[in-house]
Amino acid sequence: MSARTRHRNHHQPTDDQLELRHAPTRRRLLSAGLAGGALLLTGATGCATGGAGTQDAKRLTGGTGATPTGKVTVWSWDVAAKALKRLGAAFEQAHPGTTVEVVDIGYDNAYDKITVGLGAGSGLPDILTVEGHKLPAYIGNFPNALVDLTSRAEGLKSQYPAASWRTVTDAGGQVFALPWDSGPCALFYRRDLFQQAGLDPAALATWDDYLAAGTTLKNATGRKLLILDGKQDTTFAQLLQQQGQSWFVDGKVAVATPAAERALTLLKHLVDRDLVDFENGWDGLVSGTHDGKAATTPTAAWWDGTLTTDLADLGGKFGVVPLPAFTPGGTRTSNSGGSTLCVTAQSRNPETAWAFVSHLLADKANQVSMMRQEGLFPAFLPALDDPYFQQPAPYYAGQPAMRLFAELARAIPTVERTADDSKAGDIVTTAVNQVLHNGADPGTALRSAARQIATATGRQPVS
Amino acid sequence: MTSSLPVPLREPDRASAPAPAPAAAPARRRRRSPRTAAWLFAGPTAVLFTAFFAYPLAASLYQSLTARRDGVDVFVGLDQYRRMLHDPAFLHSLANTGLILAVQVPVMIGLALVLAVLLNQSWLRFRAGWRAVFFLPAITTLVAYAVVFQVLLRTDGGLADQLLQALGAGPVDWLNSPTWARISLIGSVTWRWTGYNAVILLAGLQAIGRDQYEAAALDGAGTARTYSGVILPQLRPVVLFCVITSTIGTLQLFDENYVLTRGGPGDATLTPVVYLYKVGFQQLDFGYAAAIAWVVVLIIAAVSLLQFRLYGRERRR
Repeated sequence: MSARTRHRNHHQPTDDQLELRHAPTRRRLLSAGLAGGALLLTGATGCATGGAGTQDAKRLTGGTGATPTGKVTVWSWDVAAKALKRLGAAFEQAHPGTTVEVVDIGYDNAYDKITVGLGAGSGLPDILTVEGHKLPAYIGNFPNALVDLTSRAEGLKSQYPAASWRTVTDAGGQVFALPWDSGPCALFYRRDLFQQAGLDPAALATWDDYLAAGTTLKNATGRKLLILDGKQDTTFAQLLQQQGQSWFVDGKVAVATPAAERALTLLKHLVDRDLVDFENGWDGLVSGTHDGKAATTPTAAWWDGTLTTDLADLGGKFGVVPLPAFTPGGTRTSNSGGSTLCVTAQSRNPETAWAFVSHLLADKANQVSMMRQEGLFPAFLPALDDPYFQQPAPYYAGQPAMRLFAELARAIPTVERTADDSKAGDIVTTAVNQVLHNGADPGTALRSAARQIATATGRQPVS
Repeated sequence: MTSSLPVPLREPDRASAPAPAPAAAPARRRRRSPRTAAWLFAGPTAVLFTAFFAYPLAASLYQSLTARRDGVDVFVGLDQYRRMLHDPAFLHSLANTGLILAVQVPVMIGLALVLAVLLNQSWLRFRAGWRAVFFLPAITTLVAYAVVFQVLLRTDGGLADQLLQALGAGPVDWLNSPTWARISLIGSVTWRWTGYNAVILLAGLQAIGRDQYEAAALDGAGTARTYSGVILPQLRPVVLFCVITSTIGTLQLFDENYVLTRGGPGDATLTPVVYLYKVGFQQLDFGYAAAIAWVVVLIIAAVSLLQFRLYGRERRR
């Protein structure tokens, strides 16, 4: 074959391909823009409600004695959805002409759906389940997206722990939800492992005691002390609330305070002494606990629900003591989790929605039934007087574990909640991970986080 | 060839078609001028483009100039863009992208090239099947992808770890150590997109005629010399195309690290788009998220322009 043919072959197909190849390249570039555009679009929808900030939030208008009627839809997930379905059927029977539809949207994408729905002002059901620590950011950033329940709910304030009530109100005290369950914290421990190590769990008065016990326990049993989530651990927030603060104090950024540094230093010590087993997500925590990878779990009362159902085979092995304190005689509980129910401004039937919400959450019998059946620890304080909480629990080797939580629930420290909690929480999670996984210095990481939060929110750091 | 035919090829077609009513056709043509027709054709696209592309772009550009204070959007000028310059998380996300560009893209293109050459061998049987198998990761749904990689890379008893331990190495904390998390990410992106690029490169290879190989063989070149001296130089434009699309893909990286690590641990695998998502959807800071999106668009435009330049130069060679 001649050089000439080779030359032609070299060029002709290449030129053809070039035209072809230009096309997909442009398309790819366009799709790049479109993908960006789609992300931007969702960003832009926030704008739609932004301008309406001066208007007042929607309120309930009907009389208190009105008969509930019509259909309401509720979004929830997991056991919470199960409880809603059970009590929704009872509500329908008690109020003929009403329909309660419960949609289990699954936890993983729940907040994406809720955020988009609140931002767009459409696509939401009548009632939303929102965790207490997430609610203030929604109330603050989407001021008119939820129904102002103040006129009906105000009188219920004293019936809930102050810490829970703070999550359902805005800075001015207006009420936008009712607390559902709360998460008083204590230390779950493995009786068998503590016995094997010759340790007395009742002697864990401070976190220093806890650290020391961890080393003893590890030497004796080979097990670690606790499990932390490798990506989004919430123990730091819990340790901070135990000391009576959250991300902001008096409206100022407070993540580089001595209390915060104490909490993060404690976590770092635990990691440095190899007392932490990192697992991924909820499933990792459950399976790690089941496999006995760690001897304690400092967490909330609702952990009982998981233990007694998913880890039923470990019955008799667990016990509960109050959280160790930061200083001798200090606070021995905190809060983790706990949800709320709120009524969306998009609801066409807000009166019935409120009737269902209050029927569920401001009712002793219903709250107790959700504790018994679904393990949802009631935020409604009168429910804690029920004899159920006094019973010895076979799962805890006869210890009346729920009595301890009922006592601790009234002692949960109240912390400040703001519209910027979600920004701060996200930035702090990154800082915590840098300390736990990359060996960063707690003080340095927290000061850097505080600066970022100050920039992101336009707030001053506490001096 | 054509000269031997008594009539031009097109003629019989027109003749065999049923003759249109002579008056009707011009009348219709008068009612709808070519310009109207053009608008009718372009109209739907133009409307969709405006509603779903131009409007969101403009709205997000405006959004990027605002910040939400107490539930109200306030105009803040270029504050959000200035904020990016001092935001360690954003700067880390750019550095991570740079690392992935420098390491992952060359490795992947190299692998894809080897794969494409192998897939192009005449002795290979079930070629279509192989091609499908290698292409499959690119079209796998995110959910399946997430499940598989979580099983593979689990901290305890993950398949990758079991394999390592059988070989007497490990354990490796694939997703919780910054270095290994980056390696896991690079590995999983490579797994997902190598086949895709290999198929594109294969198309390029197939456009090179068999005669080229024969010519090279006649000229006395061995296999290695044939590829390095004859085949690969002709494939350069295709390789460049793969590099450009991979670069854009890397700058937009979201799925893989969102599923595997959510950008963690710390900021170790954070990319600008995952950060944008976190800022928008977790922090509810839409103004800043929009600003980040625009910076990502600008970076992609700049990098693409640069590569198009190179592409153009390539074409003139």
